[in-house]
Amino acid sequence: MEKIKPAEYEQRLNKLGEIFSNIARHADHQALMRCPYKNRHNECTAQFGCRFQKKPQGDGELLLCTSDDKLDYRNAWEAGAEDYERMRENLRGQSRAGSGQTAGPGNIKHAAAEAPSLVGKTIFDFADELQVRVPTSCGRTGFCHECIVEIKRGHMALNERTEAEGFLGSDYRLACQAVVTDAAQDVEFALLRRNPRILLPDDSTTDQLDPLVTRQGDQVLYRDSDGDQPLDQYRGQMYGLAIDLGTTTVVLELVDLETGRSLYVASFENPQRFGGSDVMNRISYDAGPYAGEMHRSIINTLNTEIQQMCAVLEIERHVIYEIVVAGNSTMRELFFNLDVQSIGQKPYKSLVEHEYLAGKRGSTALLEFARKLRIRANKNARIWGAPLIASHVGGDIVADLVAIDAASHDELMMLIDVGTNTEVVLGTKDHLVTASCPAGPAFEGGLVTYGMPGCDGAIESIWRAGDGFDYRTIGDVPPSGICGSGLIQLMAELRRHEMMTPKGVFANKAREFLLVPDRKISISRQDASHLAQAKAASYCGQVILMRYLGVQPQDIQHLYLAGGFANYVQTEDAIEIGFMAPVHDDRIVKVGNAAARGARQMLVSRSTRDRIAQLISTIEHVELETTSDFFEIFVEGCQFKPMDLEKLGW
Amino acid sequence: MADITDIQNEFIRQEIEEYIERADEREKIIALYSKTSPDMQDIAAAIIDGQHETSDELTKTGLDAGISALQIMDDGLITGMAIVGIKFRENFIFVPEVLACARAMKAGMKHIEPILSASGIEPVGKVIMGTVKGDLHDIGKNLCIMMLRGSGFEVIDLGVDTSADDFIEAVEEHGANIVGMSALLTTTMPNMGRTIEAFIDADLRDDVKVMVGGAPVTPEFADDMGADAYGANAVECVDIAKRLSGVTT
Repeated sequence: MEKIKPAEYEQRLNKLGEIFSNIARHADHQALMRCPYKNRHNECTAQFGCRFQKKPQGDGELLLCTSDDKLDYRNAWEAGAEDYERMRENLRGQSRAGSGQTAGPGNIKHAAAEAPSLVGKTIFDFADELQVRVPTSCGRTGFCHECIVEIKRGHMALNERTEAEGFLGSDYRLACQAVVTDAAQDVEFALLRRNPRILLPDDSTTDQLDPLVTRQGDQVLYRDSDGDQPLDQYRGQMYGLAIDLGTTTVVLELVDLETGRSLYVASFENPQRFGGSDVMNRISYDAGPYAGEMHRSIINTLNTEIQQMCAVLEIERHVIYEIVVAGNSTMRELFFNLDVQSIGQKPYKSLVEHEYLAGKRGSTALLEFARKLRIRANKNARIWGAPLIASHVGGDIVADLVAIDAASHDELMMLIDVGTNTEVVLGTKDHLVTASCPAGPAFEGGLVTYGMPGCDGAIESIWRAGDGFDYRTIGDVPPSGICGSGLIQLMAELRRHEMMTPKGVFANKAREFLLVPDRKISISRQDASHLAQAKAASYCGQVILMRYLGVQPQDIQHLYLAGGFANYVQTEDAIEIGFMAPVHDDRIVKVGNAAARGARQMLVSRSTRDRIAQLISTIEHVELETTSDFFEIFVEGCQFKPMDLEKLGW
Repeated sequence: MADITDIQNEFIRQEIEEYIERADEREKIIALYSKTSPDMQDIAAAIIDGQHETSDELTKTGLDAGISALQIMDDGLITGMAIVGIKFRENFIFVPEVLACARAMKAGMKHIEPILSASGIEPVGKVIMGTVKGDLHDIGKNLCIMMLRGSGFEVIDLGVDTSADDFIEAVEEHGANIVGMSALLTTTMPNMGRTIEAFIDADLRDDVKVMVGGAPVTPEFADDMGADAYGANAVECVDIAKRLSGVTT
């Protein structure tokens, strides 16, 4: 055998080392922009699940990656090994579907549409075929629990319920899991129309009343920057619509512009959910092959709601003269059909904000003819998008600030608007600072295995009783999941009974706790970890802003808790787990859907709009991610324990 | 001056035509390949194409036919990787492909290792690498392994979701002197500390040096959990491994 001299070998190693070092450096650099698990054919080589994975068209072994590389791909990765296995199996199962089978004679029906049944296809496949849009955010793998459908008949023609469906009542299935096993029978399915419980704006008519829509004789006028513009001949009524455009829930309120009276309130789930549950996913969706779908879906749903409202009130749509929309930056720009991609990338600002900062426009408010957006109202009706504050902090927070009358606060106040994106505002009317914290959908029903929005069947309150748990559900019906307020209480209860450490480790190394044994509803360590991270986002917002202004929780005179489930949160629970700053109970004001109320106030008052525009021009935006010790604060915030500012060293 | 037609392997010619765009670089690569035999070009092609079975077979055939190990390294393995590096730099291929190419190179090196050993050249060190329990993210770890192997280390890859027991078993079985742990999630990072504790319990902590890395890990965390070193990327990983095994100080 040949002999190799060490020096000669070393020479080769050096050559290789140089090649590899360059590769490693380039890999580091590239990882900032492109998921390293994605190969040259845009296939995913990861061993874990990811929301960007999609099943391939043919028989390919690898899943396809649908990421556009514009956003931080890490957010889309799923953590657990079991999720991945489940995902793979489901995807494999799907790609085998339908091969070598003949269709029928049974049919799959949805409303008036039907298609011939085929063994091996899922209800989701048929929904596609029938052009029925079913919400999903996990690539149809049974993980996100969003594609719930009601099976009206034909249960027996479908496969056995899978493990992922254990949480559903007998008439419901996940569209992605329900597979046809007998094509001879008919199956009829329907989408679940969820009616989330939201807070109705109070019926006070004390709002300032000086709308932009006015009447002179039988002329209806609209006051814009050029003076009064004729809108219409007076038809006997002058109405306006205020819309609180949330990522998860949309609230619509019809207001009589002559009296300020509220006439009708409706809420519905934001239909854009099929493109993902948080704004980043929707931005990403809007960059893909279905760009514009988000905009169309919200406009279509809004038109349906307006139509229904007009039918109920027996009015014609032509008496709606102005529409005010308050939503976060992404929701608002999607509504106005503007490009949202810049919001998904550093510095996370909409094009409108970029133009405003460059001096190309005087305000970030938007004004458009409703008809240009295909909204069914008076043909000259205007639609006004409430201004943004900065970055993700948008018109919904502006509406909150209107509702709590922030412009008159001499004393230190804090506003926490809890949602998929949680926003915090802190200060006095002379100096307000704000931050946006990407909390994710954990408290709104996403990512947590048995999490759900606050609709009928959601556990809104849960407490330890004996060896198990007692609970109360919304609508007093059997539970199908837990909503945000229930999750906060559950975390606090687990801590109080020492069933979980502050770090989220369950007692006795348990992987999960069974909460409702007969419905198989449980909470896992993974769920706790998702909740910890969601909670940490809101923690970081509050802590970093308090430090920025050099104030302590006890300095806060008014703490306003806003957001869909804010009114149901037990404040002592929220403080116990560090979700909220420890502020004395009599200083905490739960303002619920403040954004809806603020949107109404802006609709009926020009001076309110002017006043808030003045205020927001002075609000300072703090970018959390660029705070040098953000990560340390975040890690501290992931712990389930009360906020301890001394530990952070101030 | 060498011309591309001097290279007999058609696949290599195509690769150069298609992917090597810089004139000076192309000239250099052509000069490099034009001096190599068709057999060696076949090995390089297998590496560029990420075909580890082919490179395994061809390297063995080459050695059996009496071609020297150093020549196979020079003309087959290294020349192959040179094109891979350029293709990667220019974004024609991505990390998964590079790792496949590195695997093909390792398949060839496997046959050269006994010759090194017989020549009295031992690996710089023996490293056990794995992603910790509960974590399935492996690409950073795989890049580290590629770098370590390319720098003369013997690496035992335990893959992902590695329990403390698996780490301990591997150290005992292979007599490794370095353990490298990776974690990508804040939730699995604590498992690094737990693994280190398990080493203490097994009375093995003094026998190994522990290095850690991964996105959420910081030098402070590494210190807190009782690791010997922290590396921010694959290049640092090699420097640290060399330091921990006493090759450099």
